[in-house]
Amino acid sequence: MTAPEEQEPESAQLVRPYVITNGRGRLDNDQFNLITLVTASDQVRPGHLDPEKRRLLDLCAGGYLSVAEIAGHMGLPIGIVKILLSDLSADGYLLTRAPAPPAQLVDVSLLQEVLDGLQARFG
Amino acid sequence: MTQYIQDPAFWALIAGTPLAATAIFRGRKTQAKLRSEKAEAENRYTDLENQYSAAVQEAQVRAEEATKSALKSAMRTLQGLANEQQLAISKLQDRYGEHHILQDLLEIDHMNSQFGRRAQSIAVLCDGWLGRQRAVASVYDVVRSAKGRIRHYTRVEIRSQSNFALTSRAVEPVALALAELLDNATSYSAPDSPIDITIRTVPKGVCIIIDDAGVGMNEEEKNRADQLLSAQRATGVTGLGNPPQFGFAVIGVLAARYGFNVSVDSASPYGGVRAVVLLPEDLLTNMPEPEEQPVSRTPAAAVPEEPGSTAGGLPKRRRKGSISIVPQADTTAPVRSSEETASIMGAFQRGTQSGRSANPNREGHDPQ
Repeated sequence: MTAPEEQEPESAQLVRPYVITNGRGRLDNDQFNLITLVTASDQVRPGHLDPEKRRLLDLCAGGYLSVAEIAGHMGLPIGIVKILLSDLSADGYLLTRAPAPPAQLVDVSLLQEVLDGLQARFG
Repeated sequence: MTQYIQDPAFWALIAGTPLAATAIFRGRKTQAKLRSEKAEAENRYTDLENQYSAAVQEAQVRAEEATKSALKSAMRTLQGLANEQQLAISKLQDRYGEHHILQDLLEIDHMNSQFGRRAQSIAVLCDGWLGRQRAVASVYDVVRSAKGRIRHYTRVEIRSQSNFALTSRAVEPVALALAELLDNATSYSAPDSPIDITIRTVPKGVCIIIDDAGVGMNEEEKNRADQLLSAQRATGVTGLGNPPQFGFAVIGVLAARYGFNVSVDSASPYGGVRAVVLLPEDLLTNMPEPEEQPVSRTPAAAVPEEPGSTAGGLPKRRRKGSISIVPQADTTAPVRSSEETASIMGAFQRGTQSGRSANPNREGHDPQ
């Protein structure tokens, strides 16, 4: 029915992203950001996992990967990848590690009080 | 006798007989003529009638063809636009994957898919362009693609997966046929009831079973569906009824053209309709290998077939590495005849005997 010259040069994915997440586009409590690190846990995978989730676990099996890297490899929008990640980590197939927190600075007022105390004592 | 001769009536009778004979003869002749004329007229009438109905049919066919070609080109444009739009939406989804807008983009994507499917269905009825040529895809992905093309897709639950894939030419027609079935299933059942899809491997191929919890179909509806699905009746666009019902007509055309089988004559466990799509083996293929997979190990197993020497005549060293440890079936079972085996065993025995005989503590050829 379709002559070869009629074919479109480019075609979108067969399975659309909204089908993969069953309509969910955003997480209510977003525990992931672009640099959250995730890795696959030792938990045995079930047989009926979606192909995208299986591929994601395969990607993460080698060690910690950031969310941004995973989205790049999967070729899916980041929001969709985050939903898959949160499903998988809720079921215990993934371990997440928050990125190293920025150095905690001590409260300025406390420093001021110490300084004041020192000055009162010695100054 | 003489009295008769004198009787004028006798003479009148004599004169009248040939006249009467002529009259009767003439009458017969006219009757025959009339009869033949009547037959001729009848023939002409049937000819005219045939010509008339042929003309009407021709006009109908021509009208159908004209409608088809007009719709076909219109749908071709719409399908092209839907595809372009889908690509644009994909790009936006990638760019704004982290924003709130993603949810809206997903909804637009969903609407666009439905729009594309509607155009595709009409195109199928007009013998038009089915759409993009797809790569080989797993049955599961084709089912999911179909799921994404209907309005209430979240009600559709896919219960099983399959290790089979569809050949590239079958991906789009099967996805479209499934989408039409799912559309029927969701339209004729309660708004919150689930639609179950089961994929089952059977000796003849792969079955995709769609169960809904709707009201089912009565006998008349079943007959109509059967007729349309078995493509006994070429509906075209003019015979879809009012309001037009595309579903079964589209599925029937696709099934006939691509050689798969669809039946809707059984009831689902939930009391609704059970639709079964049977995909025969020639539409199926093995699952495509994922792209990241390194070159498979089969070429390594074929290494022993390499030429045994270099161009200079030296023995060629074979690369060792990923050759499997488990010996291959055809190398463990070499093509040795029983004579060869016997001669090898004999050589082995002679060797052990000569080894023993070479033992200095023993003498002669006594084996023990």
